[in-house]
Amino acid sequence: MIVRELALAVWVSLKTSGLAALIASALAVPAALFLAGREFRGKKLVLVINQTWMAAPTVVIGLLFYGLLSRNGPLGGLGLLYTQTAMTIGQIVLILPLIVGFSYTALRQVDRRARPTALTLGASRRQAGWIVLREARFPLVVAVLAGFARAISEVGIAMMLGGNIRNATRNITTSIALETAKGEFRNGVVLGVLLLVLTLGINVLVQAGLRGRDGES
Amino acid sequence: MGGLVFRLENLGYSYPRTAASFALEIEGLEVREGEVLALVGPNGAGKTTLLVLLALLVRPDRGRLEFLGQDPWSSDESAGRARRDAVLLTHHPYLFKGTIADNVAFGLKLRKRPEAEVRAGVRDALALVELDGWQAKSASGLSAGQAQRVAIARALALRPKALLLDEPTANLDAGLGLRMESVLREAGREWGVTVVFSSHNFSQASRLADSILYLSDGRRTEFGHENCFSGTAATDGVTSWLEPRPGLRIVFAGRAEGHVTCVIDPAAIRLTAAHNGLARPVGPNVFRGRVSRMETTDEATALVRTSGDLAFRATLPVREVEAAGISLSKEVLITFEPGSVRVVGERPVESPKPS
Repeated sequence: MIVRELALAVWVSLKTSGLAALIASALAVPAALFLAGREFRGKKLVLVINQTWMAAPTVVIGLLFYGLLSRNGPLGGLGLLYTQTAMTIGQIVLILPLIVGFSYTALRQVDRRARPTALTLGASRRQAGWIVLREARFPLVVAVLAGFARAISEVGIAMMLGGNIRNATRNITTSIALETAKGEFRNGVVLGVLLLVLTLGINVLVQAGLRGRDGES
Repeated sequence: MGGLVFRLENLGYSYPRTAASFALEIEGLEVREGEVLALVGPNGAGKTTLLVLLALLVRPDRGRLEFLGQDPWSSDESAGRARRDAVLLTHHPYLFKGTIADNVAFGLKLRKRPEAEVRAGVRDALALVELDGWQAKSASGLSAGQAQRVAIARALALRPKALLLDEPTANLDAGLGLRMESVLREAGREWGVTVVFSSHNFSQASRLADSILYLSDGRRTEFGHENCFSGTAATDGVTSWLEPRPGLRIVFAGRAEGHVTCVIDPAAIRLTAAHNGLARPVGPNVFRGRVSRMETTDEATALVRTSGDLAFRATLPVREVEAAGISLSKEVLITFEPGSVRVVGERPVESPKPS
């Protein structure tokens, strides 16, 4: 495996999973804020569905979107199958419930007095919502990182929706699968270690950045 | 005192989705600019609920609440705007993550005050609670008393039109409690801030407040506490008194008009054993009663409750109780000087009747 190919696979992994984590967080965190701040009929059902969805195998999501995006599928006209966009969409769907669940738990642990305190000190309702998010920033960042880690480490969606096309949709995990299938176990292990090091590096950087900004752990 | 800050009319509020059938009902209440109003009552009387309503954090179910002459609940935006002039300090205040300065600056930054003004505001407010120099310390890990002081500074820094405090000195030691009392008094009298605070400490309420609102079961009550009597003040030109019950006069020093509430400091009450057949001593403020309860608050002080014509609570040195031969169920005479009667909550009578 040449270095250029390897670098491209790393880039595809970082790009698709990073985008998936960002987009999923933009949807999941407000949803979690809504769920954490309100009591309504059917809330428990929503949480149970979210919990179940969290356990959905990647190949099932891959299969579902394969059906939707394939030429004869309802969204076939978009021509997205075997593209990085399709991989990102699949990964968003995969990690969305995970980030909702983790963020919900994080926000439920914010002291109930935080919101009224912000309001009485002059915050608008929107600002008070932001302040609650800020109070939970550490566990929220962990939720986003967990989503990213799940996306970058999955192989089912990348394989089924990306198609493992060389220099286009091949990422680290599909590369590992390919190298293993070819019997190149050494390459597979090297790629696996690379994936772990990458994830570790991102975790360390983000957490250090947060700590530096707050001056506390 | 200036114009009306709060005006409540047939205000009603009940907690949604709670099993307990608690409801707050306030027929009428007016609080003026610079006034210090104390809310006194037992646990569950509705003091905190009323403070939360005055802080515009919840919308009343019924009736009308005016703040600075306006209905703040006419829209969500107007409630948000009005809320910037009324700050609530809760019993167990919450401090945001970050430093003490971050916390005190919180409201100032929301109001987009210039950086230099924020820094000066933080320093001045922390100096008021004797925490200047603590700016850079983390807000987590403070003791309850320190957290309370930071929260007081955070509220004072905003110089709101109305400062609402739920048991503001509950977590402070006696010395600091007194210091905070003087800060609150200053806020009311010198800055023109309207202060509404709840307190279990009755003597604190009477010391600090221009008027006291007694609450019980979510409603205003006339007699909210022992040693507290309300009625219409009367005078014969020499002495002034009120009659909480017909024929029973509580004489006080000075003059007052209209509906007043008198508070007698428990420490100012003297008890002597009454002997059957003995004529009642002549003089003001002598009442007959029976000891209904006795307990010691510490090694040297006894708390004695009496029932009878009027119910009183007295705190006396234990040795004095023993020397006077006072014991449970014993008939006693209760006496106190007119000078030890504090008149609070004076409200003018709308249309005074000729006496």
